[in-house]
Amino acid sequence: MRPYLEVSEVSFAYRDGEEVLSNISFTLERGDFVGVLGPNGSGKTTLLHLMARLLVPRKGAIFLEGRDIQTFPRSALARKIAVVFQEIPGNINLPCLDVVMMGRIPYLSRFQKETKVDEEAVHWAMEVTATLPFAEEPFSELSGGERQRVLIARALAQKPELLLLDEPTSHLDVAHELEILEILKNLTAMGITVCAIFHDVNCVAQFCGKALLLKAGYLLRFGQVTEVLSEESLEELFGVPFAEVAHPFAMRSLFVPLQGPRARPQRGWVHLICGGGSGVPVMRLLYEAGFTVSVGVVNQFDSDAEMARYLGFQTVLEKPFSPVGEEAMRETLALARSADYVVIAPTFWGWGNVRNLDLALALQKEGKRVFVFSDALREDHDYTGGEAQKKLRILLEDGGLVVDHARALLRHMV
Amino acid sequence: MRRGKRRNFLPGIFVCACGMSILFAQGVGQGGYHFWDSLALFRAFSLAPSERTILFAIRLPRVLLSFLVGGGLSLGGAVLQGVFQNPLVDPYILGVSSGAAFGAVVAILSGIYFGLFTVPLCAFLSALGTVFFVFRLARVGRKMPLEVLLLAGLAVGFFFSALISLGMFLSGENLHQVVFWTMGGFWGRSWGNVGMVLPFFAVGVPVLLSFGRELNAFLLGEKVAESLGIDVERTKRLLLSVVALLVASCVATSGVIGFVGLVVPHVLRLLGFQDHRKLLPLSLCVGGVVLLLADTLARSIIHPAELPVGVVTSLLGAPFFVYLLRQRKKGL
Repeated sequence: MRPYLEVSEVSFAYRDGEEVLSNISFTLERGDFVGVLGPNGSGKTTLLHLMARLLVPRKGAIFLEGRDIQTFPRSALARKIAVVFQEIPGNINLPCLDVVMMGRIPYLSRFQKETKVDEEAVHWAMEVTATLPFAEEPFSELSGGERQRVLIARALAQKPELLLLDEPTSHLDVAHELEILEILKNLTAMGITVCAIFHDVNCVAQFCGKALLLKAGYLLRFGQVTEVLSEESLEELFGVPFAEVAHPFAMRSLFVPLQGPRARPQRGWVHLICGGGSGVPVMRLLYEAGFTVSVGVVNQFDSDAEMARYLGFQTVLEKPFSPVGEEAMRETLALARSADYVVIAPTFWGWGNVRNLDLALALQKEGKRVFVFSDALREDHDYTGGEAQKKLRILLEDGGLVVDHARALLRHMV
Repeated sequence: MRRGKRRNFLPGIFVCACGMSILFAQGVGQGGYHFWDSLALFRAFSLAPSERTILFAIRLPRVLLSFLVGGGLSLGGAVLQGVFQNPLVDPYILGVSSGAAFGAVVAILSGIYFGLFTVPLCAFLSALGTVFFVFRLARVGRKMPLEVLLLAGLAVGFFFSALISLGMFLSGENLHQVVFWTMGGFWGRSWGNVGMVLPFFAVGVPVLLSFGRELNAFLLGEKVAESLGIDVERTKRLLLSVVALLVASCVATSGVIGFVGLVVPHVLRLLGFQDHRKLLPLSLCVGGVVLLLADTLARSIIHPAELPVGVVTSLLGAPFFVYLLRQRKKGL
């Protein structure tokens, strides 16, 4: 048996050569509740418009009950598919009942008056969405949540088999969002297929049966929510790390987007030796990559010290413009013992900071991997008359690795 | 869930007002007929021949024409405002008025003459040509985006206005005639003029009135209308074309009369009639009554001379409109 809705190898472009959707294929069954997720500009709305036949695919086709939707007469299709768009019109003074009644347009011929059947459909739609209490009130005087419910009722008055919604909860507060999601879930229980774009991963995780992940016009994943949604797939989708956490009292997990290395200490701890601003780009990169970083010894008010403070890294400070002292050395050694790697930024060497290299040597003796940026080895970076060069040579002889740039560093540390 | 019957009597009142005002206007003027004397219309054979001439051959066509033109303009305005989803649109936005005026000016100045209706006919053809040109300009692929259409209409309108000004500048002794025509009015209009507009009304008005439901759906946005199974592009094209025909016929017979087409639908909306199924017929009636009364005033206030009717509509209507706006600022 053919599936209820089949999207088959659909591609679409608004302009030649700029494909917005590429080769999308999936199938839906009656009563499915599908959540569409994806970053901005990934083609979600375009997909929805294609399914509603507001756009025509460049390649491929969409089949409803085995029949290409392009072959349906307009009003026949409008009796099967209803759409709730993202924009909520604000300036309509019509009573809500009249707004909902517009959903009956596909059933009425030009000169036909609304019949009992139409009134019953509208009544049902407003009952399901709990909008009956303000049936006679002007649409423009409702709150955002009420308006959205009226618009959903308008779509339901079409008595659709497939309901498409574009971010139905994006303008709403939490309570109204849950209300709408419950309504949609109840609709699927009645056999209506619901396909909705969501902004919030957890709307999909908690309420939808299936999930469809779109990224840059490609179908990343499609299937049961529990199989499709995972930390990995969401990170791949949004480019932000996610943590899966147990819902306090529901079976399905929640997904929390994460930011910063503190939440992901498992990527490792790097101790960074820098100074004079040489460590700033390295710190940014390590931070983005999710590393825990400690910094030292750097002078107070040095731009590296400022950056470390800004990113919340543990830092050992020496007084401004002072050479690295004994106490700072001891403190750094104690701190850096917990690190997995030691990285030497492409810094300059002078009598003020050359003792940092002793630190690196000591840590390497204790078995830490040490990475040195190649620029740090340059002769013109050495203002100690060869002292720094000597120490760096020892460091390299004992197994220190030279890296040319920050990305190469990350590759080594995977 | 049964709808209350409230407000359902309002359309009835408006229709009555139409009839009353026609009778009233029929009575005003030289000869001192009164409202009740107007009822003589229904027993014409009992009148003296001179009275019959005044009432039937002179006054009645003028009354009917001003009613039709007012109704046509404001119905056209209401439809266009609905299509464009923009309350600042008036029926001349497609370039009809400047096109018609241009045609009329050309006809007057060039002195061509092929019968009594030379000027109206030229104006009508020129108006249609202009609208067609604007449509062609605004076409992007298979679609006709409304913003582009608005701007194309404006641009073409300005161009023709400049040509009209040029024509006036060069018109010499015909200047009076040209200015008088562009101001608009119903002076000396006869049954022939009524006959000119009537076919367009007979076809255009029922068509436009039957699109109330679609225009309501447009309120929710074109995409929603499309998803409701309405062929949005076709509907737009049809409505714009019918309005263009209707308005062109009005302008061709009566000149450019402003204000009615913009403000009457607007006022009705402010009064709470946003439902196009009511708004459209009401615009027709109210627009007709407004222009009819304005014309009655225009021809009687400084009798035996006449004011241009457009002056009267704007002078009285604008303050009223401002008053309404101030009353319900939020209602827009």
